Amino acid sequence: MSLAMASSAARPALSPAAVRLLLGIAVLILWEALPRLGLVPQLFLPALSQTLAALVGSAAEYGAHLLHTLRAIGIAMLVACGLGIGLGLLIGSVAPLRRTLQPLASGLYAVPIVILYPLFTAWFGIGPQSKIVFASVYGMLPCLLGTMAGIQTIDRQYLTVARSMRASRWQVIGRVLLPAAMPTVLSAFRVGGALVIVGVVVAEMLTSSEGIGYLISRYRTLLDSPHVFAGILLVVLLVVLFGALVQQVERRTAHWRFSTRSGEAG
Amino acid sequence: MSTMARGTTAGSPASASAVPRSEAKAPLRIVASAPGAVSVAGVSHTYDVSGRVTKALDEIDLAIAPGRFVVIVGPSGCGKSSLLMMMTGLTKPTAGTIVCGGRPMTEPDPDVVGVVFQEASLYPWLTAQDNVEFPLSLRRVPKAERAARAREKLALVGLQGFEDRYPHELSGGMKQRVSIARGLVQNPSILMLDEPFAALDEQTRITMGDELLRIWAETGKTVVFVTHSLSEAAYLADEIVVMSARPGRIIDRIEVALPRPRTYEMMSTPHFAELRERIWRQIRHQVSEG
Repeated sequence: MSLAMASSAARPALSPAAVRLLLGIAVLILWEALPRLGLVPQLFLPALSQTLAALVGSAAEYGAHLLHTLRAIGIAMLVACGLGIGLGLLIGSVAPLRRTLQPLASGLYAVPIVILYPLFTAWFGIGPQSKIVFASVYGMLPCLLGTMAGIQTIDRQYLTVARSMRASRWQVIGRVLLPAAMPTVLSAFRVGGALVIVGVVVAEMLTSSEGIGYLISRYRTLLDSPHVFAGILLVVLLVVLFGALVQQVERRTAHWRFSTRSGEAG
Repeated sequence: MSTMARGTTAGSPASASAVPRSEAKAPLRIVASAPGAVSVAGVSHTYDVSGRVTKALDEIDLAIAPGRFVVIVGPSGCGKSSLLMMMTGLTKPTAGTIVCGGRPMTEPDPDVVGVVFQEASLYPWLTAQDNVEFPLSLRRVPKAERAARAREKLALVGLQGFEDRYPHELSGGMKQRVSIARGLVQNPSILMLDEPFAALDEQTRITMGDELLRIWAETGKTVVFVTHSLSEAAYLADEIVVMSARPGRIIDRIEVALPRPRTYEMMSTPHFAELRERIWRQIRHQVSEG
């Protein structure tokens, strides 16, 4: 609090965005400088330039495996979000279902589902199926829980208004509940989608024969740090891109939520 | 059927004998089947809160002739809003029947009754235009037709040029104008408003009252308006229905003799003061208890 006061009282030095940019640049510079100056062993942290060189040098290999990873992420995301949001809408809008299933879903969410992955590989093999199933389950729960919570926080008045216009049950769900829950659903999707990416990569690292996670894991056993870090860099980029994408969608579809408060006063 | 009846009575008096509506000439008798007529008969409502049965409404009888502006006023908790919700078909009374425009209101019917709620009833993710189009889109009215009808109603409530604004970009009064436009978009013969201006500041409230009176005069709808404001009741109404605290009963029906169009100056006339006092005398004890 006092910090905020002090900074607002001081002359406007740098915007938060500029500070963020500087921080990013500083990290990149350190990434290059620390290994080169011998402050960190190259095995633990290869220099940024070495990592990029590894990435470019094996671009074809990374590209091929990235495609496998993206395909798995795409399918898992459709399943996770489709099922998660669909079931969330259904369970959230039917009170008896909600009372029965919500505690179950939140309980399940607390279980680290990674421990089930050996089972999944036994059931579905080490091909893409098991990682898709695993990532789907992993990402579905936050989508489900977020959508349910979104439905519950909807102003009851919206439903009364819809009834006064004789909206059918499906119209209420599609035209009122879903758009009203959209902001919450999107933040649930942000969490769930990121978990899908994590799920696919982790599954690939554990038991798999293809994908970026597989490459990271393989190069690690070869003690080829630049290639390991190149893989990590790709995963980070993937998550950042996904976050930016969701943000764009939020700007387009949920803009009303962020401005509701200020409008209320006027 | 009812459109036929309307056509014949308006046409030749010779065919009037075939239509029972000729009875309507008798004074004070309201034909419940006429478009715009409201009939509430023997309506009671009880509800159960953890085993304790509470009587909210007790034997309400109320007949409203087409085109009238009726205001229901009473202390908070008297069930006036509950009664209105039953008249719109949104909730069912424990006993009694409600008929609006010839139709038993067992469920909402936006072709007969348009409803305007207290506040925050617009969908914030839709523009003013889309909010007003919403009831039509539920019925799959073609895009061009519903756009035209919504624009026309927005113009009626004085919001031409605000079609593309979202609710959060509109003031409280403008939001209620949009709500009124939405309530009217299916051309119901009756408009029911549940404390529509309660959340507005006093100046906006007076302006909105004038606007509602103008819209009422232009459209000829029957208006049923619930408020807890004595001044609002006296200023707007043809007839004021006064309700008692729980269990809600009708304890007075007052004809307002003020001429139309109403003006702000009428609020300082002796008749206006008398009206306010007459309502207040009847509900003051109940208010102090509540």
